[in-house]
Amino acid sequence: MAAVRTTGEVALNRIAVVAVLIATLIFLAPIYWIASTAFKPKELAVTVPPTVLFQPEVTPFIRLFTKRVQMQKPVDPQVYEAAPWWEKRVYDGGERVLKVGNDVQLSQYPNRFMNSLIVAVISTVLAVGMGTFTAYGFSRFKMAGEADLLFFILSTRMLPPVVVAIPMFLMYRIVGLNDSHIGLIILYVAFNLSFSVWLMKGFMDEIPKEYEEAALVDGYTRMQAFFKIVLPEAATGIAATAVFCFITAWNEYAFALIMTNRRAQTAPPFIPSQIGSGLPDWTTIAAGTFLFLLPVAIFTFLLRNHLLRGMSFGAIRK
Amino acid sequence: MTQIELRGVQKFFGAVQVIKDLNLKISDNEFIVLLGQSGCGKTTTLRAIAGLETIDEGDILIDGKPVQHLKAADRDIAMVFQSFSLYPHMSVYENIAFPLRATRKSKAEIDSEVRSVAKTLQISDLLGKKPSALSGGDMQRVAIGRALVRRPKAMLMDEPIGALDAKLREEMRAEIKRLHIKQGSTTIYVTHDQIEAMSLADRIVIMHEGVLQQVGTPDEVYSRPANLFVAQFVGSPVMNVTDAAVAEKASSVSVTVGDAATGFEFPSTLLSKLNVHAGGGLALGIRPEGVLIRREAADGFMAVETQIVEPLGSFDIVDLKVGSNMLRARTKSGFISGPGEKVFARIDPTQAHFFDKASGKSLEVRL
Repeated sequence: MAAVRTTGEVALNRIAVVAVLIATLIFLAPIYWIASTAFKPKELAVTVPPTVLFQPEVTPFIRLFTKRVQMQKPVDPQVYEAAPWWEKRVYDGGERVLKVGNDVQLSQYPNRFMNSLIVAVISTVLAVGMGTFTAYGFSRFKMAGEADLLFFILSTRMLPPVVVAIPMFLMYRIVGLNDSHIGLIILYVAFNLSFSVWLMKGFMDEIPKEYEEAALVDGYTRMQAFFKIVLPEAATGIAATAVFCFITAWNEYAFALIMTNRRAQTAPPFIPSQIGSGLPDWTTIAAGTFLFLLPVAIFTFLLRNHLLRGMSFGAIRK
Repeated sequence: MTQIELRGVQKFFGAVQVIKDLNLKISDNEFIVLLGQSGCGKTTTLRAIAGLETIDEGDILIDGKPVQHLKAADRDIAMVFQSFSLYPHMSVYENIAFPLRATRKSKAEIDSEVRSVAKTLQISDLLGKKPSALSGGDMQRVAIGRALVRRPKAMLMDEPIGALDAKLREEMRAEIKRLHIKQGSTTIYVTHDQIEAMSLADRIVIMHEGVLQQVGTPDEVYSRPANLFVAQFVGSPVMNVTDAAVAEKASSVSVTVGDAATGFEFPSTLLSKLNVHAGGGLALGIRPEGVLIRREAADGFMAVETQIVEPLGSFDIVDLKVGSNMLRARTKSGFISGPGEKVFARIDPTQAHFFDKASGKSLEVRL
């Protein structure tokens, strides 16, 4: 880049950098709020003005993972002394950890978190996998009513999903799919598939068909050519599509709230349900939310290069 | 030993017929060039032979066996694409080894074959690189290597050097020819560049709008074009073609070009040869090197005026005004200094071609 930049361009560039910084701060503020609340002592969570400097502690996370009850009278000092450090933190808050015999009873959170993982991962794999095959078909073969079919697939996204939530719930109840992992997975796949097909079709169209033709002539079947040539070439597209599908499934709230209540309930409807009655324990909720943020953040970070390419996709014409 | 034969091949894309009743026999070790403008059906023909395109009618035979219902993978043919089609996620080594991996060959065998092909093409030092790190010429060498490594029955090349720049194209042309002489496999090569076709081919197949126009050696299609299309498509600068009228004179025949006042002198045998093909209008074709120019008047030469002069280095092309027509002549460089010169010209009867204007077919008159 040997281009000489004028003073005007330099000034414009600086303004742009400042604007991006401000935007970043605005976007990161809620995340900072949640993260800091997750490490705050309970009484500092709701101070006005907010406490910025404090001694961070992991007590909210201990509370998040354990079943507790409020104690009527102070804890016996001998019991307190014998307790491990993390249990003392709970006692300090005027609560005690529920136990069966000597086993600590875990809260529902790990369970709900696993449900979220299971549903999001499986539905993403299915949506992206089916989307990739479908997109390949649309991209490479001519068929009657191709445009209509593609439009039909897109049209499944034209209705806000919540509109069909109640009828879906009734149908699910009849076939026994409510409050089941498989039921939620089917819903999320159906919801993500159109997006996956359309995005992957764009990526597939960009892969020259000569690549497969070369493989076909070189003695491979179309299936082999697809797996050996097309899939590695489409890796970027698959990664970008997977991130978007995963985020959608991970964050989904409305269907999860209506369709599940115990066995298959995911984290998004579970976390707010813990606000409970009386004084809400914001630090514990923030701890749950903070942990819930991590998988998407890690997944997105790992695939960031693909994602950037996926988002700017279509902006550049060949 | 591979012969390829096309019998009555027809291909439609929707309502458009892109190959019309194509018949062609290619013998073992032959280097065939399919030549034509874009959209003439040459690439479709090649892809049909490769098995990447189905045909609607006719037979494609490889070594006498019909293969039109076989998949591309089962035809044992290799193809080099214009875009090279090197797999970007594989190294040069992996690219060349790829066709061998489809066979049940051992790792050691694959390795030795990849290395021997790389040696032939002088790309041994590139084996560890990714295609994106290669120059255009090297990419093409790798693509050719990938095609050669399997020792296929035949090699198909679809404008393999069309994407390279002019100088590199010339180098690669020579290299492909050398390679063919050394390896000697039946090769079908598609191009729209007639110089490439002339320099490489054992026989050239000229196609136009899905119809085969002429098959012949480079010399045959150049000096005996079968019709007006071939006459004007092959050769650079392009052959002069004008309407012509023939009149009998005392001891010779006069051929008038367009609306010119006087005609060019031809031997009287022309008349009897033309009489056989009585009917329709007549077109005269003459290549620029068949138009002879001199400065002094001489027997049989006609006075003409020069128009534009195009200096091309080793020779010049001069436009001569004959009536309202232009005849392009080839002269030594610098022979004509500029427009407006009065010179004398004649047409070399032995280099003249006569065509039936209505059908465009050559009348096969040779003087």
